[in-house]
Amino acid sequence: MTGDRATSPVMSQRLFGADIHSPVFLASGTCGYGQEYADLIPLDDIGGIFTKAVSVEPRAGNPPHRVAETPGGMINAIGLENVGLDRFIQDKLSWLREHLTRAHVFVNVVGRTRDDYAAVVAGLDPHDGFLGYEINVSCPNVKGGTLFGTDETALADLVARLRKETDRPLIIKLTPNVSDVGVFARICEEEGADGLSAINTFPGMLVDTRSRRPVIGNRSGGVSGPAILPMGVYATWRARQVTEIPIIGIGGIRDGDDAVQYILAGAALVQVGTASFVDPDAAVTTHAGIEAYLRAHGVATLAELVGTLDDGL
Amino acid sequence: MLGLGLDTPGTWLLPRPFSIGWRSERGLIGILLRVFGRGTRALSALTPGETALVLGPLGTEFEAAEGRTTECVAGGVGLAPFVFLAAEEIAAGRPVRLVYGERDAEAVFDTDLLRELTDIDAEVFTEDGSRGTRGRVTAGLDPAADSVLCACGPTPMLAALARFAVEHDRDLQVSVEEHMGCGIGTCQGCVVRSSAGRWVKACVEGPVFRATDLDWGAP
Repeated sequence: MTGDRATSPVMSQRLFGADIHSPVFLASGTCGYGQEYADLIPLDDIGGIFTKAVSVEPRAGNPPHRVAETPGGMINAIGLENVGLDRFIQDKLSWLREHLTRAHVFVNVVGRTRDDYAAVVAGLDPHDGFLGYEINVSCPNVKGGTLFGTDETALADLVARLRKETDRPLIIKLTPNVSDVGVFARICEEEGADGLSAINTFPGMLVDTRSRRPVIGNRSGGVSGPAILPMGVYATWRARQVTEIPIIGIGGIRDGDDAVQYILAGAALVQVGTASFVDPDAAVTTHAGIEAYLRAHGVATLAELVGTLDDGL
Repeated sequence: MLGLGLDTPGTWLLPRPFSIGWRSERGLIGILLRVFGRGTRALSALTPGETALVLGPLGTEFEAAEGRTTECVAGGVGLAPFVFLAAEEIAAGRPVRLVYGERDAEAVFDTDLLRELTDIDAEVFTEDGSRGTRGRVTAGLDPAADSVLCACGPTPMLAALARFAVEHDRDLQVSVEEHMGCGIGTCQGCVVRSSAGRWVKACVEGPVFRATDLDWGAP
């Protein structure tokens, strides 16, 4: 700790029943289960991580190419490759429990059916080493064929079901692939979610004009990176208008200024994702950038900056 | 992984995987790259004093064997790792052969510079015969040689070499290429198929694999 503590802005917030000392987290799918980044950045200096998705069964993932660069971002279709619930608990969660002291862990959860999601949450719930869940609802619902996150009834049923399984913080990661993200944000809040992540990747496609084939092995994928920053800020602002639960802003954040846009629009926390691939220090510098903003603008605590966008409404 | 970081205004570039081309006694490293798309163009436009962001060294490396010649088989930009490997092996007093194939003479790397960097002459093959020997690199290999085979190049070339190695019971190590996101195993973007039917990550489990550990598909 350096500088004058009395005048240093307070970055810590009390959220989800925990003291969260930094608003910056690593985004799901970009930081594995934390271990891979531990040698590169001081994980305890940031708020924590959202893990790679965990499903009941191990998943092999999609054929290559799984990633490609896009203008201002990247596209990915990894196929939710993961070690499955049992090995996650045995190998990954135990590592997180032993190696993180201040950083908080949210486990990202996926499934094909409501029961799948519920089984992951029920299986994890008695274990230590994580704070709460982030539910990835951008998965096809086996029953209806649509994505959980784009079907109002399926989303409501899923959130209600998971609420029964756990008292831990339950965060729903909204998909932008809907006409009004506010409607889906409201549903999550009404069914008992504790927070919202805004926003997941946008569906996209790249074509290799020489072979006339899609670049991505899965044909389509999710687009992330700076190109989607304005859409993420919008989704955050829209969700803030219609809900009161904490929002975690995600999409294209590279630095403090990007993060402050989300915070002004209503996000209490942010996630840094794709930018970590370009510079593993991105999350750490984003934290420093937010702190510098507070200092420069004479704001004493981060909490009082959240949602203070002057939008003329 | 080599990139431009996040600080360059107006630039968005995912880092690309490169081999270390050479190293100097002053502790500098060189990266050998061919301008192919916007990424390599942006990297090649760097001028002295500008900053690049390097994450590495990462992944697995070629392994030479004491008392045996290392035969480096390079196709196109697959030459890059062998400049370093050949120089290190020659400096250590171990024999190296460099078999280098390109499409045509125009694509062939500066062989004088290559000699300067590695201390050996590359045996050049071109598909159209406009430089060196006409034909593919596989034509330059003696099936009965007692050497360690190391290869890097286009997948069809590696697949052909993998079949050659199986047929003649030869050790072959290959360095594979796949689109990479993070370089450290987190994004799981750069997978290739293992012979056991598993997806393995080129960044941390590779990029150098035993050829028999990978699935080369039907010929």
